Parts: sequence; structure tokens; C-alpha cells
Amino acid sequence: MDKKKIAKVTRFRYQILTIIFLVLAGGLVLLPKYQKQEGIKTEYLLNHSISPERYISTDQIADKLINQDPSFILVDLRDEDSYNNYAIPNAINIPFSKLFDEESLMYLNQSQFDVVFYSNDNFYADQAWMLCTRRDFKNLRVLKGGINRWFKTIIKPEMPSEDKAKAEFDLYATRKASSMYFGVMYPEQVIEKEVKTVSKPAPKKVITVKKKKKRPVEGGC
Amino acid sequence: MGPLIPNGVIPADWDSIIAILIGLVFGFILEASGFSSSRKLAGVFYGYDFAVLKVFFTAAAVSVIGIYYMDYLGYLDVGQLYVHPTYLKGAIIGGVIMGVGFIAGGFCPGTSLCAVAIGKLDAWIYVAGIIVGVFIFSEFFTFFEPLYAGDFLGNVTLVDSFGWNPYWVIFIFSIIAIIAFVVADIVRKRVKKVFY
Repeated sequence: MDKKKIAKVTRFRYQILTIIFLVLAGGLVLLPKYQKQEGIKTEYLLNHSISPERYISTDQIADKLINQDPSFILVDLRDEDSYNNYAIPNAINIPFSKLFDEESLMYLNQSQFDVVFYSNDNFYADQAWMLCTRRDFKNLRVLKGGINRWFKTIIKPEMPSEDKAKAEFDLYATRKASSMYFGVMYPEQVIEKEVKTVSKPAPKKVITVKKKKKRPVEGGC
Repeated sequence: MGPLIPNGVIPADWDSIIAILIGLVFGFILEASGFSSSRKLAGVFYGYDFAVLKVFFTAAAVSVIGIYYMDYLGYLDVGQLYVHPTYLKGAIIGGVIMGVGFIAGGFCPGTSLCAVAIGKLDAWIYVAGIIVGVFIFSEFFTFFEPLYAGDFLGNVTLVDSFGWNPYWVIFIFSIIAIIAFVVADIVRKRVKKVFY
């Protein structure tokens, strides 16, 4: 009896399989679609974004530029006019709106160089950093304070007041020196020492030529 | 989560070992289902046995449905799967040559090795032929290279290059598979049976 029942069902086994097959395939078409999360996982992104490791100071950048460190790319995120007006030496211009253009990706999505973003402050740079990190680009940094801080610290360093520690003065000296490297002239540099006009002719120097003493004959052949 | 090896769930060092294990199982099942007989494969072309067509069509359809369900549920990222690169000219010419070899010899490269393992003489000769072919190809590689590397389209799929919706493609593919099975059965019933 049982065998008969099983046989009754198994007679239609191919039809049953076909129906299962079609239902599964059709189910894929009918399933509600959703936008998939692209890029790295949310937890990673959060971990990265909290960490302050991405910041690099203007002093570090100045040091790298002066030492001609070839390991990084400076990316200026401001618009083209501002970039043409003034930019940190050796920076390339990728306006924020063109961040994910084909040409820009060449610079951003690679693992050979560090990429250092900067904008006026670090506001846009942080945003660019976030967008690129989400797409799992590597070695991204942000210039802390952007080009404003660059001006304040490197181009026009403020002299510390007299009651400050020596370290501050040392830092000031370093910054001043680097600003000179980047083409800033200081008043004390400009003052030329007055060349004293000489009225009387220079006294003639008597150069005595000493005659070489004849060496006493030494032995030997 | 998946694919397991690229995402580091299984260390990459294991991939060769896993490949060997899968290969063993694949070979065993091919042999156990009688695919190491050249008559079974030739049957597809003469119309007396469509097992090969049914098996491979079913395998493809089932796995593609499974993969897309897993992708939908987030267990597997379809974008990370390996897609074989397309060399259009080479694929067409190579396909024709392989097709001719398939009918003439009654083996595909995989089943021929299975048949070698169980000691079929025709398979030995077939594999010897493969080796000679490989040798000739390697020796004349500079001559064949423009053909071999020409018309490179990248790692594309039909879905990518035509912008189709993958889910509809799978659905239509499944229907085609079912139609193929039905037609194959009708043909098989009409053709004189061959016992082997």
C-alpha cells in the first residue's frame, strides 16, 4: 500500500522537480531588491573614522617637502582658482567635486604612495578621506588644519612670547627656517650690512718669500 | 562573508589542497555516473543518451540559482567571484576545435582523464593526442599568440556586457533548461536505442 503511494508520487517526480526549479528561479526575479552596501564594512569605517591616526601636521609635511620625501602625494581639494592662486608646493589639484573621476582615481586608489588631503581647513579633506576610506582606498592622510594652518605655522610662524619654554622657540626657529625654504623673506634677512667705504688705499702687504733652506744632504743613494 | 578564500575565512594556503579534494570528488562522480564512457558523451550528438546535457545544464542552473540566493542573503558576493577572461577570437576557434574533438573522440578533457584512470584504451590515445596538441601549441606559441591573446574583452559576463538584469537571465536560462530537457526526452524516444 505504502509502496503504491510512493510510486504514485514518484511518477510525477520530474514535474515536481521542474516546479521547484521554476519557483526558485522565479523567486529571484520577484524578490524585492535592495541597495547593497558597497565598500568596507560599517564597523571598520567607524573604527577608522574615530581614530585620529589619519591626521598629519603641517610641520611633518614641511619636513617631508624639504627633505624631498618621494613617498607621498599632496592632494589639494579646493577649486581650481584657489589652487592656481596658491598651493602647497608639489600638490596636485583634485577639486572635491571631481574626487571620483577616472583621472583622480589613478592617484587615490593605489598602494604605493601615501595620499595627503588638504583643503582650506580639514573639513573637506575629512569628507574626502571618509568617502575614499569607504571605498577601501589605502594610505590616506589628512593635513590637520589644512592650508590655513599651513599659513599660520609654516609660512607666517608666530614668534612665541618671552615666557614660553625653549622648545617653543626651537619650533619657531624650525618653522622660520622652513618658511625661508618656501620663499618667505624676513626683514633681518633683507637688511644689508653697510659696506664701509675705505678711504685710504689698502696697505701693501709685504709678502716675504722664504727661501727654502737647502736640506742637508742625507745619506742614501 | 564569501567567497571563503579571498575573504580570509579559509587561509589562502589551503586552496591547492581544497582544489585537489574537489577534483577527486568530481572525478569520482564523473566516473560513477558513467561519464567515462565515450559512448555516453557521443550519445548527446546521436540522440540516444542526453545524460551529459542534462547533468551539466542542471549543475549550471542549480548553482547559479544558489549563488544568487546566497548573494541576496549576503553570504556571498557575486562581484568577488572569478570570471574567466574573454578572448573572443580564440574562444570561437578553440570552441570549434574542441567541439570537433568532442564528437570525434567522445570525451571532454575532464572525462578523458577519468577514463584514463579506469584504463580505457581510446582514452589513453585521446589524452596522448591532447598532449601532442599541447606540445605543438607551445612550440608554435609565438605564431599562435595574436590569435590566443587577440580580441581581449576582459573578465566580462553576458550580464555585464549587455546590461541585462541577472535575475531575469537566470529565470530565462532555467526555462531554456527545462525546454531542453523536454525536447531531449522527445528526441531520445524517437531515436533507436543503443545499448552499451
